[in-house]
Amino acid sequence: MTIPGSHSTVLVIAKHAFVDEVRQKSMIVIFVLSAFFVLLLRGCYKGEYVVDGQSLGSAAIAWTVSKVAFHVIAAGAMFMAALLTMRVFKRDRDEGTLSCILSRPIHRRQYVAGKILALWVLSMTFMFVLHGIVFFITALSMKTLAPAYLVASLISSLNLLFVVLVVFLLSFLLPDIAAFLCAMGIGIGSLAASGIHSFSQSQMGQVMMQHSPGITGWKLFYYLWPGLFGTQQSAFSLVGYGGGMSPYPFVNVISYCLILCILLLHRFRNEEIA
Amino acid sequence: MIELHAVTKRYGSLTAVDGVTFSVARGEYFALLGPNGAGKTTVVRLLLDFTHATSGTLSIDGISSKDPVCRASVGYLSENPRIPPNLTGWQYLQRCSELLGMSRLEAVSHIGDIVERIGMRGREHTKARTYSRGMIQRFGLGAALIGNPKLLILDEPTAGLDPIGIREVRRILESFKGQGMTVLLNSHLLSEVEKICDTAAIINSGRLLLKDSIPSIIRDGETLEDVFVRLVKG
Repeated sequence: MTIPGSHSTVLVIAKHAFVDEVRQKSMIVIFVLSAFFVLLLRGCYKGEYVVDGQSLGSAAIAWTVSKVAFHVIAAGAMFMAALLTMRVFKRDRDEGTLSCILSRPIHRRQYVAGKILALWVLSMTFMFVLHGIVFFITALSMKTLAPAYLVASLISSLNLLFVVLVVFLLSFLLPDIAAFLCAMGIGIGSLAASGIHSFSQSQMGQVMMQHSPGITGWKLFYYLWPGLFGTQQSAFSLVGYGGGMSPYPFVNVISYCLILCILLLHRFRNEEIA
Repeated sequence: MIELHAVTKRYGSLTAVDGVTFSVARGEYFALLGPNGAGKTTVVRLLLDFTHATSGTLSIDGISSKDPVCRASVGYLSENPRIPPNLTGWQYLQRCSELLGMSRLEAVSHIGDIVERIGMRGREHTKARTYSRGMIQRFGLGAALIGNPKLLILDEPTAGLDPIGIREVRRILESFKGQGMTVLLNSHLLSEVEKICDTAAIINSGRLLLKDSIPSIIRDGETLEDVFVRLVKG
């Protein structure tokens, strides 16, 4: 009997995991509902908006709507990725899939890689399709194409990899729901860290922080906390309306992903298979 | 084919397997017997690297059990086989064949043969959620047979089967005799073991009490069950 190659085994495991997730009715319902709500955004492009007595131009409206939609969809996709990942290991164990796979000439790291790949690709597809709907709505409303919007979506999928890794690792150590809530907590913490960072960059923030003794603590919080929201913001800056693209959040999230990968493989290597 | 040398497995203060040493020759039908909690399933899990030995070495076909390559020609049926409920028996077997790197074309004829062999023709395309325990057991055995393994590790293969099913499993296992397949059988059904296996080992409280050929174990007028009870009750 031949032993399948390492990559092909990972792809086979990923394919099976992907199909299992897509077949779930709850997954289909969530996707259809999300797509429906995103389609409702069409109405936002057509209204007239007045700020400080001045009517907003259609370009400003399109930018604001697409920016808000971008961040909401990216956050929703993270939520979705956490939901999908939190049950994967226990379901595989309960349904006998785990022992079926690992009784074959398959390394544990191949199993982990296959699962991560499937969940990442699935949540990325989910997010990309929803971003794609916004992209087309914007293109139809504004009669211009902004392909950078889709590129930004792909770059933001780095966050989804982070969420999958965190929840997968924590699901070995904590109850599923606790793993899910921890991932959500990290996301909220990241939003707070980015907010503080943005404030510290403003003129008022700089004046205030010069007199504040806790400045180092906040800076550390921003630099050490997983920069999920920073990644989204930096990715969206590609669209061209925001500031420059900062590489730091990417470095931060990629570093965390590498650390999580190592911890996950180490943890799973010692896991007792029932 | 299988070598265990001074294998010990401890879970905290509990010693599940205590210095067990034995070997199984190629082509041998070997039964691992013992009461509940004796450590039989732990030995199987150690062989499959589902759990790690505290000390000692295990190998399959000369390759350490820690190396996944040793499982290239191993078929395994767990004590409590399960099939994802949304899959059909055919899809389940197809997945198992894909994990072994079989092409779709190759898998179709191979799975067809296996379905025939396990007596599940006509039920292979219905969802696993409709299967009885016995049917799942048969598909589990089918999955173990994917890729024509050289070593079959069966943990209670007749659990949940009716007498006809038990006879079927015995027939399937007997059909491999003389073809070089090695079988490691964990079972409580001593009468079946006596019919199928060449060699048996009796294990109790993690310790190996006896390992010999079945004709040598059984004294005049005794059954394997008598020997088992005598040894275990001590």
